[in-house]
Amino acid sequence: MATPVEVPKLGNTVEECLIAKWRKHKGEQVSAGEVVAEIETDKATFEVTSPADGTVLETFFDEGALVPVFTNLFVIGAPGENIDAFRPKGAAAPAVELAAPAATPDAPKVERQVARPAPPAPSGSLSPRARRFAAEHDFHPAAVAGSGPAGRVLEDDLRQQYYESPRVSSLANKRIAEGLEIGGEGSGTGGMVLSSDLVLSATRMSGIRATIARRMRESLATTAQYTLHTSANAGGLLLLRAKIKASTGVPDININDLVTFCAIQALLAVPDVNVEFIDGKVYKHREIHIGFACDTPRGLMVPVVRDAHTLTAGQLSVKMKELTAQTVQGTVSPDDLSGATFTVSNLGGLGIESFTPVLNPPQVAILGVDSIQLKPVRREGRIEFIDAIGLSITFDHQVIDGAPGARFLKVVKEKIENVESICTI
Amino acid sequence: MYDLIVIGAGPGGYEAAGHAGKMGKKVALIEKGRMGGTCLNVGCIPAKTFLRSSKLFHECKEAAKYGVRLGSVEFDMPAVVERKNRVVGTLTKGVEGMLKRAGVEVIAGHARLISRGAVEVGAARYEAANILLATGSRPAAPPIPGIRSEGVLDSDTVFALTHVPEKVAIIGGGYIGLEFACFFNEVGAKVSVYEMLPQIAAGCDLEISTRMLQIMKRAGIEFNLSAKVLGIEGNTIRYQVADGAQSSASADCILNSTGRAPVVDGLGLEELGVDFTPKGVKTSDLGKTNVAGVWACGDVTGRRMLAHAATREGIVAVNNMFGKKDRIRYQAIPAVVYTHPEVASVGRTEEELKTMGIEYKKSVVPMAVAGRFLVEHEGGTGMVKVLAGARFGEILGVHAIGDASSEFIIAAAIMVETEMCVSDVSEIVFPHPTVSEALREAILGVH
Repeated sequence: MATPVEVPKLGNTVEECLIAKWRKHKGEQVSAGEVVAEIETDKATFEVTSPADGTVLETFFDEGALVPVFTNLFVIGAPGENIDAFRPKGAAAPAVELAAPAATPDAPKVERQVARPAPPAPSGSLSPRARRFAAEHDFHPAAVAGSGPAGRVLEDDLRQQYYESPRVSSLANKRIAEGLEIGGEGSGTGGMVLSSDLVLSATRMSGIRATIARRMRESLATTAQYTLHTSANAGGLLLLRAKIKASTGVPDININDLVTFCAIQALLAVPDVNVEFIDGKVYKHREIHIGFACDTPRGLMVPVVRDAHTLTAGQLSVKMKELTAQTVQGTVSPDDLSGATFTVSNLGGLGIESFTPVLNPPQVAILGVDSIQLKPVRREGRIEFIDAIGLSITFDHQVIDGAPGARFLKVVKEKIENVESICTI
Repeated sequence: MYDLIVIGAGPGGYEAAGHAGKMGKKVALIEKGRMGGTCLNVGCIPAKTFLRSSKLFHECKEAAKYGVRLGSVEFDMPAVVERKNRVVGTLTKGVEGMLKRAGVEVIAGHARLISRGAVEVGAARYEAANILLATGSRPAAPPIPGIRSEGVLDSDTVFALTHVPEKVAIIGGGYIGLEFACFFNEVGAKVSVYEMLPQIAAGCDLEISTRMLQIMKRAGIEFNLSAKVLGIEGNTIRYQVADGAQSSASADCILNSTGRAPVVDGLGLEELGVDFTPKGVKTSDLGKTNVAGVWACGDVTGRRMLAHAATREGIVAVNNMFGKKDRIRYQAIPAVVYTHPEVASVGRTEEELKTMGIEYKKSVVPMAVAGRFLVEHEGGTGMVKVLAGARFGEILGVHAIGDASSEFIIAAAIMVETEMCVSDVSEIVFPHPTVSEALREAILGVH
């Protein structure tokens, strides 16, 4: 019996998902538990599996489509079963996919634009004459709207599309097959598209990227951001880190974990920074949920350690490593990607000496951690060099003025410089 | 008020005027000399009629090779000139008829731009929305003492010769000099070519020009390469060779064929602020100059200096001025040198590809791979060279030496223009037996 599979609801705030990739196509055999599609929310990528053994009877959306949750995504069943009842209303009109072209090693001259190779599909959807036209003209568009009964593609449908398509030179066609795209009007004879008319393909922004883009735009548009820079003596941090490395049986707490731990201690001391600013109201939080910026192959993501103030440095370190691994792999739950009250962003590992972190509204502060640099200091009339870690903190001036902001940063600095006394391992 | 005034009735100007006329535009064509410009009067057409006669004369002398015995054969120079005039006359009338049918008004006289929309011819003043400069070029006279003296002919005056000179000295081994070298050599003159560069036919693919030099030397033409002409006094040329040694030679006919210079003077271009140098009026690929409403095509732009390039440039300009999008592309303009044997080429030379750092594959086949070539050219020699992209096999350049290559180079031009690849050409049927089969063999030989 044909079984439809829906787009799952992947978190409380997720309304729609992007079809990132079809791992199985129409007509392919799958077994229960096998991945059929990869879908993407604005925060992470998920796999949709087949509930049963069978054949993929239909996939309702193209890659790149944005599909509401609980919408039928594909149907598994036995070949020949009718799936029309499961077709969602929003799905694209059933454009008929043409059979993949028979292997022709060298296509003839002055080819028409050949779209990406269509996946294998039943050839019954083309009339015999249409099939002959396609073969004779080496014309295999990805989709043609058929005007015959049940959307059957007739020769005239193909012919019309053939003559309306831009002519593409043989060389340009070969370059298109390598991923270039037609950039505009052809500059050759009669508007023929030449290789010089091709451009690098524009890629569709992933859902995650689009979300980052939107949030960053909103951040700059709705807040009054300013950044303060200072540095803290990192001697204690480095000593402690060396001690941790030398010990056995303790979590591998790194410099970033320690600085985050110090920031949490500073927030406990200055609770006015652990707030959110929404619609003109300032919401104070007793709990400290720490977001930390995480660089992933899909873009910036910010997993959140809940109730971070209740954790020891060791527990914090373990939790952050766990969330980092899940985030990089794309298996993190959407609920672990929201709800932070304060964020830490560390670019020190990349050698950055200072930067301007961008706020994650409605939070009002984000701490940037910079690299450790040698810094001259005057001590009893002598110049000495110390290891200093750079700190760059951005505040929302709507809520936190310069002086209180500077005072908070001073507290962070003190916590870091006294890390050995506040953090026991 | 005209929609368009064209200045110059060469193949750039008259074709553009006719094209605009057929579009229903009100067009005037101003010409100070004869209809047809350099091409019809003192260029392509007369040179080719001369060369046809000299070739026939040469073939008659060689007829025995083909099993044909003739009596004595004579070259009748006055009759050749007469025929040339007849051919030119026929073609000129053809141009006049075409212009008339297109509704183009022809005005005789020297035109001078007085504003971006007005032209003066003598006392008369004509206004137009667009002005197309198609004034062409004239034989260049490099700074060689004596080169302007009356005894030195150039490609304008050489066609007035009424007898075959005994000894001809040709200054310049470019395509004009080489064509005349073949002509004079075939009709019995002793020909010496003086070329400043170490090679002939500058700009031609080196492998082809080297073969060309070899064939022409074998035919009896003397070449002095890397030879700088220092001066001309009476019938004597003084020149310096590469090692610095000076020599002199005398000839009863000295021909200056050192190239052509765009006609940019006396047109009022400076006053109008048109951007130009002695090397030509600057134009865009749409045919526009820097001054709105003023366009240019052909030799006056100094770009390709070929009649067919001029025609295309003029039509592009007309299309653009009347709202039809068009653009000149230079990558596939074929060029032919009507020496014996002919040289025809299109696209990039091997030297250009090397300079540009483009990876290529090449294939060279002798013309004799085509049966028809052997049939037609007893003892003839030639080759076709194909250059194709290393990765996709797109045809980048085709260079041929051997008779009839001028007639099939258009096929190669279409391949270059439409970016055809070697694999595509394998599906095209070439007629048999024709010389064009050598092109096919050369292309299919690209691996």
